[in-house]
Amino acid sequence: MNKYLSIFKISFQQEFAYKVSFVMWRFRNMIQIFVAFFLWDKIFENPGRIVFGYDRSKILTYVFAIIIVRALVLSARAADVAGDVAQGELSNYLIKPMNYFKYWFTRDMSSKILNISFAFFEFIILYLILRPPLFFQQNILIILAFLVSIVIAIMIYFYMLFIVSSVPFWAPELGWGSHFLVTIILIEFLSGALFPIDILPAGIGQVVMSLPFPYLIYFPVQVYLGNITGALLVKGLLISSIWLVILGISMKYVWSKGLKVYEGVGR
Amino acid sequence: MDKAIIVDHLVKNFEVNVKEPGLTGAIRSLIKPLKKAVHALRGVSFSIQTGELVGFIGPNGAGKTTTLKTLSGLLFPTSGFVEVLEHDPWERKPEFLKQISLVMGQKNQLWWDLPAIETFELNKAIYEIPTREYEENLNELTTLLEIKKHVNTPVRKLSLGQRMRMELIASLLHKPKVLFLDEPTIGLDVVAQQKVRDFIYEYNKKYQATIILTSHNMDDLINLARRVIVIDEGKILFDGALEELVSRYAKEKIIKATLSSEDNIKDLDKIGKIKKLAFPEVVISVPRSATAVAAAELLQNFAVDDLTIEEVPIEDVIRKVFRGELRK
Repeated sequence: MNKYLSIFKISFQQEFAYKVSFVMWRFRNMIQIFVAFFLWDKIFENPGRIVFGYDRSKILTYVFAIIIVRALVLSARAADVAGDVAQGELSNYLIKPMNYFKYWFTRDMSSKILNISFAFFEFIILYLILRPPLFFQQNILIILAFLVSIVIAIMIYFYMLFIVSSVPFWAPELGWGSHFLVTIILIEFLSGALFPIDILPAGIGQVVMSLPFPYLIYFPVQVYLGNITGALLVKGLLISSIWLVILGISMKYVWSKGLKVYEGVGR
Repeated sequence: MDKAIIVDHLVKNFEVNVKEPGLTGAIRSLIKPLKKAVHALRGVSFSIQTGELVGFIGPNGAGKTTTLKTLSGLLFPTSGFVEVLEHDPWERKPEFLKQISLVMGQKNQLWWDLPAIETFELNKAIYEIPTREYEENLNELTTLLEIKKHVNTPVRKLSLGQRMRMELIASLLHKPKVLFLDEPTIGLDVVAQQKVRDFIYEYNKKYQATIILTSHNMDDLINLARRVIVIDEGKILFDGALEELVSRYAKEKIIKATLSSEDNIKDLDKIGKIKKLAFPEVVISVPRSATAVAAAELLQNFAVDDLTIEEVPIEDVIRKVFRGELRK
């Protein structure tokens, strides 16, 4: 266990190695939230207006909840794995008596903890500046369900990243392309990070909800807001757990195949 | 003596995508990828005793690095048998990995933005090295490699030579019993090369470590390796003592003579190929089988003060190996 604690520590130090770029990155995050906030604020300028079943307070809470959930789920160091595979850096890890998956999971956790602590401060700053009408969940059971859905989301994202990162085993030149497709297109659009999934037409919405993507952002946020409860909550947790198992097994399988064709290029 | 490494009929094939040049080629390979099998190793067999230091030589792309990677468990063999310290490397069991190390001259494991000491501490945890032992090893390695004062400098600010020595330390903190060194002196200046070389020699002696070394640096091989394995096009061409390599593959011998007069000096090229002529010294290379005849002729027809017959320098033979000329 000490092994992974050390990885956690060094990872944390690494995040601080470039202080200025770290600050700039956090700054960019805040700007993004400003943009989203003012966009939705403008749409709901008229206080009585309801669009897609969302009123001003609900949509603004959604936007703020995304800050926190995003910082928890979508910040992952494991995005570098594809590069490791394509450039043969993977060799450095395989040669050591440690588990490569656990290594990256540990690095992800350190990144997430750093992220969430900063997101927390940013949240307070933004809250004080914008003074949005927010909704705070008080039901312990719902908060518990929210936490469970977050853990599932983190794991699903981790497995997804690792599956995508295995592409360069077979096609080194596709590494970035496949990453772009999955992390930028699919996840940004279908996870609910840009807009709530339930504004989609019912048919499409249902298809999307049977995919793993909305369980990364949309589902945990809705659970927190108390919009998904009872049978729907159980159904959602079940679908996401099934995806978790499927993705986990697929990842193990793909990697055991990939390592056999691994060439350790770059000398 | 027990064997540390056993390799038997090892075969490794790769599949590579072949791309024709130009845009049309790129599009064609997208639609219908052309796969080509590359035979990196075609039935390689050898074994190495505990404590041996063996040099692996051959031209680029001969299969040296592929062999080392297979021995350290990075590559899955297409067929054949590999055993290192009684383990199948491919299983990558922690007990196995804790006893080996692979140092690749152009790969780095150090954390670029942090001081080297951080990587060392991390390896201490990963290899589960007890604190006492870790401190002793670190102290010993930094002293031997004369790099102690730089351990707290961020790696990106180190020179290549300093970094390479740090890499070596990071790879050796757990005191591996088997060490695979792939071009450990590449890109280093002469002083740093010598330091690394001396160190490898010491390490081998002191810990009875089994070491396989690949290098394009002549001095590495001559100073370190008693036994060499010549590999080319995925096959072993020679396996034996370095001196034996010379007598086996040098088709010529060298006659060095000191002349007392310049008489008939123009006729010297009838004896053999003149390598150097700077009166009174003359160096002639003659076919191995005709050495005695050539020497006798030289004594008979020229005013010779002194004469010695020598083997071709090891360097010349190794140079031939690198050029891939041994396979002919």
